[in-house]
Amino acid sequence: MECKLVPSVCSYCGTGCGVLFEVINGKIVSTLPMKTHPVNEGKLCIKGWNLHEHVNSFMRLKQPLVKTFGRFIKTDWDEAIQLTADRFREIIEKYGPDSIGVLVSAKITNEENYLAQKFARAAIGTNNVDHCARL
Amino acid sequence: MNNKVKAWLEDGTIDVFLGYKEVDHHPLPYCFTKERLDEVDDLLLSPARYSLEKIATHMTDEEPDIKIGMLARDCNSRALNVLYLWNQLNPDNVRTVNVNCCPSRLKEHGDCSYLEPETVGAYKRRVGVDNNLALKDVEAYDETERLDRWMYEFQKCIKCYGCRNICPVCFCKECSLEHDELVRTGPLLPDVPVFHMVRAVHMAGRCIDCGLCEAACPMDIPLRLLYQKVNQIVMDLFDYKTGTSVEQPPFSILGDTVTLEPKPIEPLKVINNE
Repeated sequence: MECKLVPSVCSYCGTGCGVLFEVINGKIVSTLPMKTHPVNEGKLCIKGWNLHEHVNSFMRLKQPLVKTFGRFIKTDWDEAIQLTADRFREIIEKYGPDSIGVLVSAKITNEENYLAQKFARAAIGTNNVDHCARL
Repeated sequence: MNNKVKAWLEDGTIDVFLGYKEVDHHPLPYCFTKERLDEVDDLLLSPARYSLEKIATHMTDEEPDIKIGMLARDCNSRALNVLYLWNQLNPDNVRTVNVNCCPSRLKEHGDCSYLEPETVGAYKRRVGVDNNLALKDVEAYDETERLDRWMYEFQKCIKCYGCRNICPVCFCKECSLEHDELVRTGPLLPDVPVFHMVRAVHMAGRCIDCGLCEAACPMDIPLRLLYQKVNQIVMDLFDYKTGTSVEQPPFSILGDTVTLEPKPIEPLKVINNE
């Protein structure tokens, strides 16, 4: 029997509530609020309480899908990234870099947000960066 | 305490021990095992309470024969008693280390400080129900006022289901609060006060008054008072004290035998219409 209680941060919104995942035999069985966390002080909303359900959901996408002839076909990451890069290059060459925008998210970390805007400005060459909290 | 736990783990009295340990500067529930015996030295009595017995129930779901040791304050012990009665845990598979309780009206000196609710604001005191009041003080309000005050509290609910999720004695696979005919999926506010009443009815003879629901409620609804009331009714009718009585509670799963007899009912007073 392996039972771990793993502290984490809720990934649903930008508030950043402390949660505790109850992991039994490698499977997350429940989510608890962290009592001593300064942000939520032992309370959670309904989304936070059900974090483990979207991890365990059978509908969860576990590998990239590429839309080919109107249908989603499973593929690997290398191919998916290559395909995205090729299409980005095509679009940039045809319509210019400002035809692309990057929407970042409150659900990802500060560092990931930084990388996303860096990608937009340095790799694509546009200032079209916006954030889900402004939608 | 640490040596006792170590000895238990070593001689196989228990397979795992549920206690608290400081992880990332937070006192968190931790599962100690025989393989990592040295960690038992870090065993804590945390001021923050988590429902260890609920974790134990989840572990038993996975491995029914696992022997679990755990720290037990008074509230944990009462919850364990209820879980034994409802066949969720086997008393032969659980060993407890009893530790000091939370400071409260019942016990002034304790290690845990999360039971007493914070002081409430002026507006809530005026129109709502003060979480710090005793049951008899709330019942002292006249009927209309009492209803208004409770409805104010209930309409704050954001339907997070936290009260049910954190409850150590809530274990049903199918929950009435997710039954479409009682509580519909989607609408907010929840059907006030049906949501709270459904839960209150199910807490009769089950609630062990640990206060975790109230501590987890983002809207500070005085849930403890509500469940104290339903338990009071069970006490008055059946002489049943939840958490300490060893009999099956009066509300039982279909098919289980109930041995409790209602207390003799006092003869009704004849009302003279004249």
